[in-house]
Amino acid sequence: MNLKKYLSLTRNGIMESLQFRLSMFIVFVGNLLYLIVVYFLWKAIYASSGEEVVNGMTFSDTLIYLVLATALFNFMEMYTVWQMGRAIQSGAIVLTLLKPMEIRRYMFWEYSGNFVVNFFATLLPTFIVVSVVTHGAIPLGLNLLYFVISVVMAVIINYNIDFFVGTICLYTESIWGINIMKQVIVLLLSGATIPIAFFPETIRTIVYWLPFQSIYNSPLTLLLGKSSDIKDVGIVLGTQLVWVAVTYAISKLFWKISLPQITVNGG
Amino acid sequence: MKRRGLLFYARLYCKILAQDLKSKMSYRADFIISTIGMVFTNIAGFVSFWILFRNFSTINGWGYYEMLFLYGFSLVALTPAQCFFDNNWSLRIYVYSGDFIKYCFRPINLFFYYQSEVFDIKGLGQLAFGLGTIIYSWIKLGLGFTPLMLVKMIVFLTTASLVMIALQTAAAATCFWIQNSFYVLDLAFRFKDYAKYPITIFSSVFRFIFTFIMPIAFIAYYPSLVILRPDEVPLLSWLSPVFGIVFFYVAYRIWMYGAMKYNGTGS
Repeated sequence: MNLKKYLSLTRNGIMESLQFRLSMFIVFVGNLLYLIVVYFLWKAIYASSGEEVVNGMTFSDTLIYLVLATALFNFMEMYTVWQMGRAIQSGAIVLTLLKPMEIRRYMFWEYSGNFVVNFFATLLPTFIVVSVVTHGAIPLGLNLLYFVISVVMAVIINYNIDFFVGTICLYTESIWGINIMKQVIVLLLSGATIPIAFFPETIRTIVYWLPFQSIYNSPLTLLLGKSSDIKDVGIVLGTQLVWVAVTYAISKLFWKISLPQITVNGG
Repeated sequence: MKRRGLLFYARLYCKILAQDLKSKMSYRADFIISTIGMVFTNIAGFVSFWILFRNFSTINGWGYYEMLFLYGFSLVALTPAQCFFDNNWSLRIYVYSGDFIKYCFRPINLFFYYQSEVFDIKGLGQLAFGLGTIIYSWIKLGLGFTPLMLVKMIVFLTTASLVMIALQTAAAATCFWIQNSFYVLDLAFRFKDYAKYPITIFSSVFRFIFTFIMPIAFIAYYPSLVILRPDEVPLLSWLSPVFGIVFFYVAYRIWMYGAMKYNGTGS
């Protein structure tokens, strides 16, 4: 694999996203407000319940979990569905298909620059702030390594799902509806809005069998995990690896059989 | 320019609406999928609500059905912004491409003409869902029913909806001054999710902000107190219709100011 061509796409992405500093600022303000709302909401919830620990999670556990889930969400949100949908509707997808690189790879690496920018602009600062404010509620050790591995796999799973959903646009020519469905399902079932520990028993069992919890719940469990038991870590990472393979195969296959569907009206 | 009456505009709206519906019907798949997407969003919102209340019975003195009432109230109040003012989302594209100039050449109110062009049918699903939630929680709370209450509901729901319309309109109008205003609009759109919480959970600083600066407390909290807790209605609740109208008027002026300043792109 010639890495150079991919890295030049990454570099373009970095330069492009640095052009939009104002939008980055607005996104930052939006997230801050969201976190404030989350903070007060859960504070009120815990205050009303009168208990310190609910479902094995204290107030600060829940808060750290949700803060980091938000940071991860911003880090991973790629707008792939929108991009593919628009390209299909406008016909510009033809230009991407002509590129001497597979479209899945091209779109991923084209976006990859944003990962670099987002990492330094949101994920890392959030992480540092959380670990300073909570006085070391995040254990610093081997779990950081697990976390990084887990996030990389989460990014791939997330992208595969996005690409799969984007492919549906070939058939439906609907973007908004498809995208909102995906977003809602992923956010709820991945534990990004409410930690999975709070789910009722049966739903939790179902959720663990779905790929979505591998996106947010797995990395966060590894990061905040109290047990550094290598067996537990292995199970979480193994599950993720399986999902990486499965979602990759499915989205690749689906794209392959869907591509003949494409109709471009002029352009 | 001759001033035209309300009747004229009402008739005109019906004519434009009919055209819009016809053009929507030619994308039937998109319409159906978007509607399903909307239903999904509401169900997911409800499920996260339900999961939360399975673990905690009250939040800050607000019981399950009271919170449900707030939730339904906010859904209904948000519907007009969704249905009638959806074209705000396209404003930046029209302004950017220069197509906005076509709206400036009509002998009718610019704001009216622009907003009337799109009617978003999928918002009706949200309306049904919200009304169902209100009625269900109303019965469970045993609030009783008098014609006066119905009148209050209609008045307060209508004026509450003006707040969201104002937020969205003002956010959309930023595109007259800045590029990439999508993020501003997206930010305003995310506020709506916070409207369903009682404002009392916040600290006094944020209570002030969410009341006067980003007035989301007027979308559900203040107006629904009139029905929910008729014995202890704060002054701000009674004033909420006034605030709704004021906020809407300010947003309308900002929007019109931007539109009047608009120069076109020369294409």
